[in-house]
Amino acid sequence: MTEKKKDNLTKVMDYLKHEDPFSKGVAFCPGCGLELLLRFIPQVMGNDIVITGTPSCSAPVLLGQNNQSWHTLSYFGTLMTGAAANATGLARYYRKAGIKNTVVCFNGDGTAADIGFGNLSGAAERNEPFIYICYDNEGYMNTGIQKSGTTPFGATTTTTPFGSASKGKNLRRMNLALKMAMHKIPYAATATLSDLDDLAKKLLKAKEAKKRGFAFLHVFAPCTTGWGFAPENTIEVCRRAVKTNYFPLWEAENGKIRMTKTVKKPKPVSTYTELIKKFAHLSQEDLQILQDDVDYEYCMLGGLSLLEGECRLPASLED
Amino acid sequence: MITKVQKKSQIKVITGNAAAAIAAKLARPDVVAAYPITPQTEVIEQISQFHANGEMDCELITVEGENSAMNAVMAASLAGGRVFTATSSWGLVFMYDAILAAAGARAPIVMVNVNRETPGIIAVSSGQQDMISTRDAGWIFLIAEDCQEVLDLVLQAYRLAEDYDIQVPVMVHYDGFYLSYLSEGVDVPIQEDVDRFLSVLKTQPERTKLVPGGRLGCGSHGILGGYLELRHKHVSAMERAKAKFQQIDKEYEEIFGRSYGGLVEEYRMDDADVVLVGSGSMCGTIKSVIDEKREEGVKAGLLKMRMYRPFPSEAMIKALKGKKAIGVVDRSLCFGFKGGPIYTELKAFETKLGGSKMISFIDGIANTDITKINVATMIDTTCDLAAGKNVREVTWVSYPEAQEEGGL
Repeated sequence: MTEKKKDNLTKVMDYLKHEDPFSKGVAFCPGCGLELLLRFIPQVMGNDIVITGTPSCSAPVLLGQNNQSWHTLSYFGTLMTGAAANATGLARYYRKAGIKNTVVCFNGDGTAADIGFGNLSGAAERNEPFIYICYDNEGYMNTGIQKSGTTPFGATTTTTPFGSASKGKNLRRMNLALKMAMHKIPYAATATLSDLDDLAKKLLKAKEAKKRGFAFLHVFAPCTTGWGFAPENTIEVCRRAVKTNYFPLWEAENGKIRMTKTVKKPKPVSTYTELIKKFAHLSQEDLQILQDDVDYEYCMLGGLSLLEGECRLPASLED
Repeated sequence: MITKVQKKSQIKVITGNAAAAIAAKLARPDVVAAYPITPQTEVIEQISQFHANGEMDCELITVEGENSAMNAVMAASLAGGRVFTATSSWGLVFMYDAILAAAGARAPIVMVNVNRETPGIIAVSSGQQDMISTRDAGWIFLIAEDCQEVLDLVLQAYRLAEDYDIQVPVMVHYDGFYLSYLSEGVDVPIQEDVDRFLSVLKTQPERTKLVPGGRLGCGSHGILGGYLELRHKHVSAMERAKAKFQQIDKEYEEIFGRSYGGLVEEYRMDDADVVLVGSGSMCGTIKSVIDEKREEGVKAGLLKMRMYRPFPSEAMIKALKGKKAIGVVDRSLCFGFKGGPIYTELKAFETKLGGSKMISFIDGIANTDITKINVATMIDTTCDLAAGKNVREVTWVSYPEAQEEGGL
């Protein structure tokens, strides 16, 4: 058993071929899922990426202050409204000038699912040659925990607080990753921090797919401060999100959706929510609504992934 | 001194929009973002056709909205590319956040804005209100009078925006519906001449570029000293742009044989007693009325603003000093002030004009034309002011009801 664990670890470490370009101490909360992800990306994909970010939790560290930076990557701090268009401008100019590049447009769910979705969708439709990574912490965390389009049913935020007339967010979340896969882009996938080898593989696949156009990665990145769980539980929260099918891991290569991790006996969603304070007020009945929504999304995904055969690209688009 | 090329340019009868598109093509941009809006659409249609014909070797990004157009060209510009995009009215307003960001990042973008109204009632008519709504963004603003000047200003704009000492985005404005769709003879320069005119930029130090692996970023948090330094540098660059534009206009004449006088164009100003200050397509009408008035013995002149940001105060003071009376014609409003925006700004320099009196005319908004009759009224009223008669400070020329009791 111990030996198997060691094997897994070695497997993940094998993907870390590049130095961590970030300073040892950075201005993130202890247990921050975003920090782990942000450090992981260049270690897998290389330090020669151009990373772009927006005002968000990632901004203080990603964008630096004045002439000081927390990392050695080439970066562009831009607007939430036009993040994907900004990355488009970079990738297109590099292509025109013959400059080898990997542009990574790195945004929270606020930018990706909400205020910047229009231009994300536009960039995907045009099959722009860059990688878009959404770190999903299910809300606007940097402004002090407000609801976003990916905030799940029942979660409390400062704009969906719990009260006598409110259960928290009284709406269901959107499924951003499936929505992106529907753009017929070369690669779309979900990933999280409890399954780093899966994440690493997907980062490399995205880098490869970028040669053929747009690649999208939706990474579930829990927020200890905003959700209310112990900092040491970040990975456990991710793990349980996967094991309850709250956040299934899949990928879509050229439209063909495939589960990258199949949970044989999914646990009830309450085994996930019990770790997190933002769900603490939910009754059994409310939890059932959340469970039903998780099942609903999984059913959609199942329907899309179970069909046999390949999605054949029009001949002119094959490499 | 640069010597003149002997090859002939070509006179083509084209619209202002076509002139803008051809100028953009001649400037050989690396990246163009295209999104339609009336009355600009023809610009990006023509560029798309040039691209489709293989005449334009650029990355053409058919964005899903103007906000993305500005974001894309901003990024491409900071990565090191030459960029172009075009918009108008609501499109300009939809890219507002990116317009501010591009200015702050000192991205040397050249954009054409075809002036159109932007009020709550969705007006599809000419007007500079869109320009006024972005005047404090930190861009350089140039305004064209006719289709020829549209082409000339776009080319001059690249020299100004990308100049190593400036590095500020430039917006070239021209009146929608008038210049956008008006066809007139335009002297279209040959590619070699344009290449030579722009080649000066290649002799300058390379500007800072965002390159992969370059250990360089842009868009950091600016705080305290860092922010102050950048803002002050931006303001200083805007000031430097005045002399630079004057010089570019001169060099332009050496190659293409056309000069407009730089920041402002003076028309029959030398011995003028009364002056109209105007900008854009109205200036052609004003010039012809001035010619007629001159025959009647009225010493009238025109001061045309070619540059609106930075505000060419020195050049304007020099031209206007000692004139008996000045009428400023605005094709937009300055809410919170009675007079038009350019009038209100010029007022700040009134004490430096040696006693010249000033009044404001508002005309040409809401689908009204600035007619020759209207211009004659403006000149007559300004003459009355010069003669010491009691005239209104603000006149809505096409809306006499404004002057009725209870009006301004």
